[in-house]
Amino acid sequence: MEPSALLTFLFLPAAVAVINLFLPVRAAKALTLLTLLYLLYCAITLWPSASLGSSSVYLGVDRLAAFVLLFAQILSTVILLFSLKGVRRDIERFFFVLFPLTVAFCNGVLLSRHALLFLIFWGLSGVSLYLFALLGKDAEASAAAKKTFIIIGGSDVFLILGLVLLIGSRPVDLWWLDKLNLRPEAPLYWLAFVSLLIASLAKAGGFPLHTWVPDFSKSSPIESVALLPASLDKLLGIFLLARMMTSLFVVGLTVKMIVVSIGAFTIISAVMMALSQHNGRRMLGYHAVSQVGYMIMGVGSGNPLAFAGGLFHMINHTIYKSNLFLSLGSVEKQTGSSEFDDLGGLAKSMPLTFIMALVGALAISGIPPFNGFFSKWMIYQGLLETAKTLPVGYQLWMLICLILAIFGSALTLASFVKFLHAVFLGRNPGTHKVREAPINQWLATGILAILCAIFGLFAVALPLKKLIVPVMVDLGMPEAMQFIGFFHPLLLLGLFAVVFGLGILLYFLVRTVRYDDVYLGGQPADPRFRITGSDFYREVREMPVLNKIFAAADKKYCDVYEMGSKGTFAFSGWLQKLHPGLLPLYILYIFLGLLILGLVINIGG
Amino acid sequence: MILPYFVLLPLLAAFLIALLAGKKDDWAIALSFMATLSILALSVFGFITMREQTFTYAMSGWNIPIGICLVQDALSLFMLFMISLIALTSLCFSVQYIRHLAQDWKYYALFMLLLTGMNGVVVTGDLFNLYVFMEIALIAAFALVAYGCRAEEYEASFKYAIMGGFSSSVILIAIALTYSSTSTLTLAGIAQALPGLDQRLVMWIAALFLVGFGLKAAAIPFHTWLPDAHSSAPAPISSMLSGVLIKALGIYVLIRLFYNVFNAPPLFMNLLLIIGSVSIMLGVFLAIGQWDLKRLLAYHSISQIGYILLGLGLATPLGILGAVFHLFNHAIFKSLLFYGAGAVEMVLGTRNLKKMGKLAHLLPITAGTNMVASLSISGIPPFNGFFSKLILIIAAIQAGHPVYAFWAILGSLLTLASFMKVQRYGFYGEVEHQKPNIMPGKLIHAAMLILAVICLLSSLFIVPGIREHTLDPVVDVINNKIHYIELVYGRAL
Repeated sequence: MEPSALLTFLFLPAAVAVINLFLPVRAAKALTLLTLLYLLYCAITLWPSASLGSSSVYLGVDRLAAFVLLFAQILSTVILLFSLKGVRRDIERFFFVLFPLTVAFCNGVLLSRHALLFLIFWGLSGVSLYLFALLGKDAEASAAAKKTFIIIGGSDVFLILGLVLLIGSRPVDLWWLDKLNLRPEAPLYWLAFVSLLIASLAKAGGFPLHTWVPDFSKSSPIESVALLPASLDKLLGIFLLARMMTSLFVVGLTVKMIVVSIGAFTIISAVMMALSQHNGRRMLGYHAVSQVGYMIMGVGSGNPLAFAGGLFHMINHTIYKSNLFLSLGSVEKQTGSSEFDDLGGLAKSMPLTFIMALVGALAISGIPPFNGFFSKWMIYQGLLETAKTLPVGYQLWMLICLILAIFGSALTLASFVKFLHAVFLGRNPGTHKVREAPINQWLATGILAILCAIFGLFAVALPLKKLIVPVMVDLGMPEAMQFIGFFHPLLLLGLFAVVFGLGILLYFLVRTVRYDDVYLGGQPADPRFRITGSDFYREVREMPVLNKIFAAADKKYCDVYEMGSKGTFAFSGWLQKLHPGLLPLYILYIFLGLLILGLVINIGG
Repeated sequence: MILPYFVLLPLLAAFLIALLAGKKDDWAIALSFMATLSILALSVFGFITMREQTFTYAMSGWNIPIGICLVQDALSLFMLFMISLIALTSLCFSVQYIRHLAQDWKYYALFMLLLTGMNGVVVTGDLFNLYVFMEIALIAAFALVAYGCRAEEYEASFKYAIMGGFSSSVILIAIALTYSSTSTLTLAGIAQALPGLDQRLVMWIAALFLVGFGLKAAAIPFHTWLPDAHSSAPAPISSMLSGVLIKALGIYVLIRLFYNVFNAPPLFMNLLLIIGSVSIMLGVFLAIGQWDLKRLLAYHSISQIGYILLGLGLATPLGILGAVFHLFNHAIFKSLLFYGAGAVEMVLGTRNLKKMGKLAHLLPITAGTNMVASLSISGIPPFNGFFSKLILIIAAIQAGHPVYAFWAILGSLLTLASFMKVQRYGFYGEVEHQKPNIMPGKLIHAAMLILAVICLLSSLFIVPGIREHTLDPVVDVINNKIHYIELVYGRAL
């Protein structure tokens, strides 16, 4: 692969962003769409020839990068298709400048071989996230933007520290990121590993640095939510984690287990929070966190099968989660709200959007034949295989993580029952006049829904064999193939179909369904007593132990950001007490400084 | 020989303003612009043509060691360029801002004296001469801090004068000790004589200098004058004080003394590391709790000075490079931040972040440039602050000081947090405003836009081909340490 061809991925979208500043909005949309389609074509042609062999010092692309690059282009093209109609008028111009710029930065991260370039693009992609957050309309948008960028920008400094520790001893012109394999005996191995882990967790939205995701999802333009936290940031964060686990560090068993535990904890804590939300965006935001847990578990475990499953789950998640966000976006644009209380009964008026969202909801809940099922399955099986080879204590540890993950999956299904009911099912007289979303929007969600189905039905033939196996071979883990030989999605599907068929049979055998009007105390039901869905699972919040945890979560005790800012302001307040504006005190400080210097000199000199 | 003009031109301008300006300030503005522009042109010309050489100029033809000499090398030209660049934009900003306060020629006369003092400190090769110029700059600064004539400004100015006077007397004692033991006041001569002295005495002299000039640089624990003075002064003066004064009078002199005269003694390098990292951390913690925007910015100056001291304390070429680069970058983005604060204060009459609110649409250029400066100071790519902090971190780790690197990144994280606070409350907050009576004019916008562009462009200083012609000569001067003696005397010893 010619390095100059890689430059297209950076300079073309960046140039388009600059041109869009001056074009009429309509032309800017067309130009951006054409550019992204061209980049998609480039990414497809790049895939077969991706190798580090002939790359330059600065840019290079291996299988993993080419794989992620491909999906970054697919997702951004589809999301752009959605954005062609419906972006708020007052931000439209800036939106279509920022969009291609974001794509350029993301491509930059993926193609950088030089650590410095990687750092710069990583930071820039955080800046574009911040600028998108500032475009939000509601009252919390500015606070969400602040929180997002403090976490994302703050984790960038740890990335700097980590990378410099990793390769800082070499001269700056040799700062390649491939095949470093830092060994645990190396000095400051831990600091470097933790720093990079912080960066990747913050970007992907893993515990405990996930708290920006729900806030950003709540307030920012929905297109940007689908683009960044749901798609590109997941790709980048997990891409970095995959690099860490394969080529940057040699990772021991305990570290792997810690990473897996972080994943399991992310799954369960975020899905519990998701259950109790009553805003669609926030709920999907928490799920965007929860799903990252699976990827972290898969990629972090180091088992080839689970690793492949983690990568597969990463792309599956970007597909179904952006589908869900965009469907919710369609709903929000048609009804003006994303609060569960205001929605309901939209399946009739927005049937296409409903079908797309349904597919997304089934995929994220791990229902076959959709893609989410297969990637989760691979991760579970990989982790089980790993558990077999572990010492007893570790075995137990791994099993606990696994159980948490499976339980999390069940809770995901539960919370999407709530989502579907609250938004599309149930009754809401207020939403009868709502119209179906414009064609570009359901086309975009439709493409994603079809991808969900294809990546499920033909999981082995298409994504696994054509994309993920080559990546795994390139990463030096060809063993993942063995499992895939035994893996028959159609067989599994058949089993599920039989069970499903039995269920339907049972329904028809014993059905006693009566359709009736709803009454309350003999009177026609007041719309106030409508079952909106926002109170589903409220009892979860009242369970004995969980109520304490939820109460703590409501007080933001689990939020690193909130706790950090509290501590910071407390210390700051204490320091300010030492600066009361009293001149004699200040002179005393100077004297003290002089005294200490004198002491140091007498001892040291 | 261009060297004396750096002092003469602004001095002349100051006197001419006092003589000619009368009651109108147009003349004063024109004269000060002329003086500043010509100094800027001279410094650029000097840097391009003579950056790698060292020249000395003997005042009135009296040679060293009898007369006073002026020394020009890459470091001093670099400082002069920085000072005149900030002075020029500050003047641009002043025209509307000061008229908004009062129509007064005295401001420009004082401004020119401030410039005279700083330039004098930078070009002189004589310790006592340096002291005199420093006092000129300081007295002008005291007056300018109190320029608004309000109670809090007088108080700030008074505190500044007392503490400044205190540190000046410490410096004077150190100079007296130096002179009594070396019998010379020429810096190069002192450097030559020092190795032959009792080292304990040398250490004490160095310690006194560190206290004295550390106070001018506002390093912790000598920082207490800065928040009051820098937040009370008129905005263009805040930017001069925070942007260049603490560097010309503090950092520059520390570099000259500790590298070129004292030959970078390891004990003091370690002290600089400690003072630097304490300043980074305490400065930023003090800053993040502030709601007065200018006070917040002032505390950040302490923290950013900490980064520069950290780089200097590492005493490796890379550390010095980072320090010099950060010195320049800080001048640019901190001045820009003060202009933003000044513009908002002029329009809304408040510095309180909670009262600022929705300004992004009201003052788009101010909000945009303030965003650029905030991202720069927080070390976000692609702006200059990212690169200088990156170099400092790399330098700290390569020098085997990961702990200091950790302080640097923690400071950077908190800096980001506090500027996110500025953005959140100051420019994207909830308070709605009516169309105000006064809006920033073209010159104010020009000043802000110039610096915002430089925030982006000066990132290029680090590109290998450009670095060799911009920052590397400066680093060489510092890193050559007492090679300075030979360069000043112009002959091998």
